[in-house]
Amino acid sequence: MSHPRLLNACAAMLRRDLTLAWRRRGDIAMPVLYALIVTMLFPFALGPEDTLLQRIAGGVVLVTVLLAMLLALDAMFSSDIEDGSLEQLVLAPQPLALMLGMKILAHWLTTALPLIVIAPLLAAMLHLPGAVIPVLLLALLLATPLLSLLGAVLVALTAGTRRSGMLLALMLLPLCVPAVIFAAGAVAAAQQGLPWLAPIAWLGAALVLAVVLAPLACAAALRIALDA
Amino acid sequence: MSNWIPLWLHKLGSPPTFYRFAGALRPWAMALALLFGAIALYGGLVLAPADYQQGDAYRIIFIHVPSAWMSMFIYAVMGVAAFIALVWRLKLAEVVAMESAPIGAAFTFITLVTGSLWGKPMWGTWWTWDARLTSELVLLFLYLGVIGLYHAFEDRRQGARAAAFLAIIGIINVPIVHFSVNWWNTLHQGSTINVFGQSKISWDMLWPLLSMMLATKFYYIASLFSRVRTDLLALEGGKDWVRKIAESEARQ
Repeated sequence: MSHPRLLNACAAMLRRDLTLAWRRRGDIAMPVLYALIVTMLFPFALGPEDTLLQRIAGGVVLVTVLLAMLLALDAMFSSDIEDGSLEQLVLAPQPLALMLGMKILAHWLTTALPLIVIAPLLAAMLHLPGAVIPVLLLALLLATPLLSLLGAVLVALTAGTRRSGMLLALMLLPLCVPAVIFAAGAVAAAQQGLPWLAPIAWLGAALVLAVVLAPLACAAALRIALDA
Repeated sequence: MSNWIPLWLHKLGSPPTFYRFAGALRPWAMALALLFGAIALYGGLVLAPADYQQGDAYRIIFIHVPSAWMSMFIYAVMGVAAFIALVWRLKLAEVVAMESAPIGAAFTFITLVTGSLWGKPMWGTWWTWDARLTSELVLLFLYLGVIGLYHAFEDRRQGARAAAFLAIIGIINVPIVHFSVNWWNTLHQGSTINVFGQSKISWDMLWPLLSMMLATKFYYIASLFSRVRTDLLALEGGKDWVRKIAESEARQ
């Protein structure tokens, strides 16, 4: 009997967050615009040579997407903390980790998915060969949820503080090093015509681990941060 | 009869007892740190022979390697203290974890600086994106993240708990980072000193290194104790035992 109710609660949580995001559609466009502008700056700074841009294209797209996600990460819980609904969520009978997992999913759908959709455009701006683009998309599909999950734990830790923007970047950097290495490794291997499955498999393994552990860690972190 | 040890440990966890204990031990730890440090410097810079390949330039090892050991050892201490702080909510464990972070960050910074000074004549470059160098840099950022998060909260105990949680996440992350950057790029030499089995270093060079290791350990104890004492006074400002200390110092 409790299972349908739990599923209903999950669906309601997801619907609420997606509706809220849809009401402020402009905010969804911001990370996308940011990523476009940052990618555009690279040819200006490094010169428009095809060979150079091709070599750095995969890494630039990955880092740009990571930075755009970092900018949007700060807002994950902020409005819910302001209006007190996050505290209601902590008090609710449903398991907090599951509810936070739904919030993370909604956040990933509204910030990372648009970035993945325009990633081929970003890659094309830097002349990444068309054959590599599917590998880049696969790497992004595995790496962005990983970053959302890790980021959510850190955002939850800073929930009780005022100035968290730069601090978030400082805390996320050491955690996202492996994700960036493996995602960029896969793209670079594909570009050189080498087998690229191993780093993708590592990313997938890390993602599975994070999907299980990160919501639990996020709930624990939020309890610490809100416990005043 | 034999339960005085757990009893003593329990008592040690209370701030006033630890304050007195740390105050009594700190000068001894500092003296031992200076003694072992001086012996190590004399042994390392004067007595030890020059390396057949690197000449005298290798002597920076007597600072570099003990600092690198300490940077990881202190992170482990911080992680254990953070775990104790989160599970049993011991105030002392929170303070120990948070006051270890700046000392660990300093040792990590020294490791990076001496490593880059050593790298210039040996590898011909100040910095290279090698696996060990990169993990050490990531370790520095982990320390700085913990320190930053601790100071971002207005309530110190809440900040300590949040930062303790971050320290534990970092402990899980360190092996992953180390493995991933190893896979990515490696130039640094492997370990020379092996706890199990034969070390690949001459005894003339090994004993100053071990002496310096003891010196850094004792320095850590001395530095940690004085930091913890200060922090305990600030944290327990309104309590009776702090007032008594303040009154007795005012009388002198």
